[in-house]
Parts: sequence; C-alpha cells; structure tokens
Amino acid sequence: MPGIVWFVVRRLFATVLVMLALSLAVYLIFYAIPADPAHLSCGKPCTPDRLEQARHFMQLDQSTIQQYLNFLRGIFAGRTFGDGPAAVRCEAPCFGYSFPLGRPVTTLIADRLPVTASIALGAAVLWLLIGVSLGVIAALNRGRLLDRLSVGVALIGVSTPSFLLGLLAILAFGFWLNMVPVNGYVPFTESPVDWAWHLVTPWLVLAVLQAASYIRLTRAQMLEELNLDHITTARAKGAGEARVVVTHGLRGALVPIVTLFGLDLGGLLGGAILTEKVFSMQGLGELLISAVGQLDVAVVVGVTLFSAFLIILANLVVDIVHGALDPRVSHG
Amino acid sequence: MAEPILEVHDLRVTFATEGGPVPAVDGIDFAVAPGETLAIVGESGSGKSVSSAAVMGLLPSNAEVRGEVLLDGRELVGLEADELRKIRGNDIALVFQDALSALNPYYSVGWQVAEAYRLHHDVSKKVAFRRAVEMLDKVGIPDAARRAKSYPHEFSGGMRQRVVIAMALVNNPRVLIADEPTTALDVTVQAQIMQLLADVQEEFGTALVLISHDLGVVAEVADDVLVMYAGRAAERGTVRDLFFRAAHPYSLGLLGAMPRIDVPPTRRLTTIPGSPPSPGSISAGCPFQPRCAYTERVGERCVTERPELTPRPGEGDHEAACHLGRRPEVVA
Repeated sequence: MPGIVWFVVRRLFATVLVMLALSLAVYLIFYAIPADPAHLSCGKPCTPDRLEQARHFMQLDQSTIQQYLNFLRGIFAGRTFGDGPAAVRCEAPCFGYSFPLGRPVTTLIADRLPVTASIALGAAVLWLLIGVSLGVIAALNRGRLLDRLSVGVALIGVSTPSFLLGLLAILAFGFWLNMVPVNGYVPFTESPVDWAWHLVTPWLVLAVLQAASYIRLTRAQMLEELNLDHITTARAKGAGEARVVVTHGLRGALVPIVTLFGLDLGGLLGGAILTEKVFSMQGLGELLISAVGQLDVAVVVGVTLFSAFLIILANLVVDIVHGALDPRVSHG
Repeated sequence: MAEPILEVHDLRVTFATEGGPVPAVDGIDFAVAPGETLAIVGESGSGKSVSSAAVMGLLPSNAEVRGEVLLDGRELVGLEADELRKIRGNDIALVFQDALSALNPYYSVGWQVAEAYRLHHDVSKKVAFRRAVEMLDKVGIPDAARRAKSYPHEFSGGMRQRVVIAMALVNNPRVLIADEPTTALDVTVQAQIMQLLADVQEEFGTALVLISHDLGVVAEVADDVLVMYAGRAAERGTVRDLFFRAAHPYSLGLLGAMPRIDVPPTRRLTTIPGSPPSPGSISAGCPFQPRCAYTERVGERCVTERPELTPRPGEGDHEAACHLGRRPEVVA
C-alpha cells in the first residue's frame, strides 16, 4: 500500500509543475492579445490620463513577467489593487480579479461550479448507464438487429451537435409537450425536486450525445473480452450467461470505460459551454464565454486554468482507479 | 473395460459459416470408464478440441452438434442450457492448455476456485473460499492460505496449471477433460502435473480424457488411445495396440516423428509430408491419402472409397480406418 501513497505524492508534485507551466502559457497567450482590458474599465470619454490610471490600478502597467509573478503570489497571499479607500482586496487564493464584474475570479468560479457540476454529474450517471448497457446489448447481439440499432443510435449521437439536439429537446418537451421548464436553474439546496426538474432535459441531451462513444467503446471491449479463454473457463465452470457476461466479461471491459468516463467528466466539469448556453444556465462555460466577449482576461485565465486543473485531476484519479481495478497494475 | 461413465457415439460437429457448412468432427466414438484414461491424439485442426468442447456443450452458436454424448447414461446433446450448466464444472470439468489465459486476471486464484465451488454448492463465500484453499493445498500450492489471495500473474506457469486443476477438481467431477494440459510447460513441470493428475485420478476415481499431441505423455498415462485425423477416427485401441501394433499410416507417421531415447540422436526424425486438409475440402476417398506413403500399394481405392474402422489384431477393440489390410512395414 505505501506504493500507492508514493505514486499519488509523485503525481501531485508533477501536477503542480504542469499547472505552473500551463498557467504561464495561458497568461502569455491572453496577455499577448492586442486589446487592452483597461480600455473597458476607463469609461467614456477615456482620456490618456485616466487610461494610465486604470492601467496602474489594474496593475497592467507592469511587465508581463511581473504581472505573472503577482498572479502567482496572489494565489497564496491574496492581492490588493490600488490603495486608500478605493482599494480592492482579492483574498487568497486569488486567481485574479474581474473588474467588469467587480468580484474575485475565485468567487465567480465557486458561484458557477454548482450549476456546471449539477449538469455534468447528472448527465454522467445517465450516459454511463445508457452507454454501457446498450454497448453490452450490442455486443451480445453482434450482427443482429439490436446491434445495428445500438450502433446506429451511437452514430447519430456522435454526429449530432449538442445545440441542435438541445434546441430540439426544448422545442419538443418544453414547448410542444409542455412537460419541462425550458430554462433556468434552481439550486439543489432550495428545492431538490425543482433542481432535478429543471435539469432533466440538459441531462438527457448530454447523456444521449455522450453515451454514443460509450456504446461503441463498450461494444468493442465486450466483443474482445467475450472471446478470451477465461470466458470459456467461466462457462466450463458452470457459470450462467448473466454471470459470464457481467462478472467475467464486463469486469475486464471496465478499465477503458472508467478511463474514458473520468476524462469526459473532468472535461465537462470545466464547463459545458453549448449546453449551458442553450438551456440558459449560468455555469462555468457561460462565465467563460461572456468573459471572452468582454475581454475580461482575469476570468478567462482563471476559468481556463481551473478547467485544465480538473482535467489533470481527472487523469490522476483515473490512474489511481486503474490501479485499483487491475491487479496486474497494483500487484506488479 | 469397466462400465463407461462417458460415452460418445457418432459425434458430428458442423460449423455454419458464410461459405457453407464446414464439418469439424465427422462421426467419432469413444468411451471412458471411471479411473481410466483415454488419450485423444492428433494434429492441430484434427477436431480433438472441438470434440471436447462439444461434450461440454461449449461450442459457439453456429456449431451444430449431432450424435450422442452419454454421461452415466444421460444424454447431454440437446439438453436445456440450465441443465447443462449444472453438469458443467460439477460432473464434467475441463483443464485448459494455457493456464494464464484460462484464468481471469482480475480475480484472486482463491476467488476463482471458490467461484467454481459456489456455482454448484449453496454455501457462503467464506466456506467456499476455505474449500478453495483446501483444494489449492491438495494440488501442491505451497502456503495455500496466503497464496489464495494472489492473482494469476503472480504465479509461475506450473503453479498456474495447478490452480486450473484445483478449479476443475473442486467439485469432484466424474469426468475430467484435459486439453493439452502440459503443452505450455517445461518438461520437469510437465511430469509433475501429469503425476498430479494421476494422483487425483487414483484418489477420486475420475475418468480422464487427455487431449494431447505429445505421444510421450500419452504412452506414460493413457489406457486407451484415439487417433484423430481430419475430424475422423484414424485408429483406436489400447495404448499398447497403438505403440506396438499401429495399423494406420498416420499413427505410424506420428510415432516416427517422436524423438526416442533408444535411437541415436544423429538420425533425423521423420515427418509426415504435407499438411492436414482443411475441413470441408475432404473428397470421397481417404482423407489421409494425399499424404500417405502407402497409397501406391493399395491403389485406386484410397482415392475413391473412404475407409471405415475395421478390426485389427491387438488386445481389445483395436481398429483402424485404412484400406491396407495388414500392418504396414515402415517405409524409410
């Protein structure tokens, strides 16, 4: 067991290094764009004097490297913009301050995360169930109607854009059938029922789209697994078909499925941009898109880094789970 | 011979393929009594493994099985899947050639042996595991209680084969089918495994069907031998009939291809020219005719008429399917 502890420590250390390199890259990219964020905050008319003031207040008049170092220091020590009574304080961990929104990026992300997490987690449970079960059914009926049907559904799912399916779902379930609310988000803490009721359409839309790749992966993995000798052994021992398929077949197909699931979920937690837009939900993706529109560089950098962190974290979790799932990895 | 426990009459297996039906086994008969050993010998593709899979009802759904398989007088061909499941692993058990691929990599060996027991006994997991440890100990796994928790990849080839044997024997089956159980092992380990099989056979009175192409092993352990060629019986008899009074040119070819300790090592081993016919391409005549050194002595008959099994001099029911009436002298 200490093996796994060491593994996690090493990986966390590597994660910090990757995040550092990534933050520098993201910072340089977004600060290299020719637009000046200070312009937006300086108001109209924007005299050169006021612009200079705004630049100084936002600490944009320093060198790029100095700005980056300020950013890094802010994560651990917090930052103060300006001085005197007009000073703006961004408490640690400070991932930048959004002047257009007048709030620290950390707070913005923390506010939006529950929305995105609600969408992503609910959809993830659904697509895993749909994808794996349809994939298994397809594999067991290889070449027959059920297989063709599942593969067909997968093909449609893979090739449909989420905004199209989202809009169609809103049109059908929201307006024609008038079954579900067409937009908005209700926090879970306020009313779990309303929360789920508002989310069920985006869940289904995302699940149908994502399930496609799980159908294909599960089908391919199961076809491979069910051809292995130990499956024949299980039958020869007298195991029934259900046991052969689930306990022996699906168990082996699990590792790649879990890997894909972890990475997909990590990616989606960083913001389901189109889905949030279509269903008018104020999640991370929506935050990112409007920040880009307003040249709110602090938010863009913050959300991008947060998404990247989630993906790196998902990779780490997947690797740990992989070890737990495959004794050939953990009992090397 | 004592009353047979397993009797196979006129077993035929045909695979439905896109190119039409392909006969893999074309009418074979054999029987084995408790405590006795029948060896089925032949090249790859001669139908010996298909025959054993047919006995266990383990063939894929595109295989059609005809004929009789009687276990203690009970017909197994066409039995309900669930009835057959109760017999598999309980009354008839199978030992595979490659123990590494025959074991499930995701479960401990103790779990796998215990599973075989639990599938046929209504006991708790704990009791089954204890029984598994007992069985692992019996087949000579040192420190069985601890090793039961290890995974297949943590064992050596010989130890893995012992695990597979423990799994096959955990329910005290009446018939054990061993499909090339020692092919993947080195010679000293081979001898240990064969000794182990002989020991359990003696202890439990198990009937053993040994599928092998290793005539050295066959000479050592078999009571009766069935030589298969292209899905048919070429010759059958007691082990002494085959080794001292072989009547079929194919049997002679196999014997000639075997290294012998009493022949100077400078002499080259003889080989049988050509390769076995692919199933479905067999013409009206003797399937071995294209490779046979004796065709000229018999003439046309070998090409036009398929030889049936006819009695030959020997101990018991020594029979061979060859038009050559008397025992052929070896053609150098």
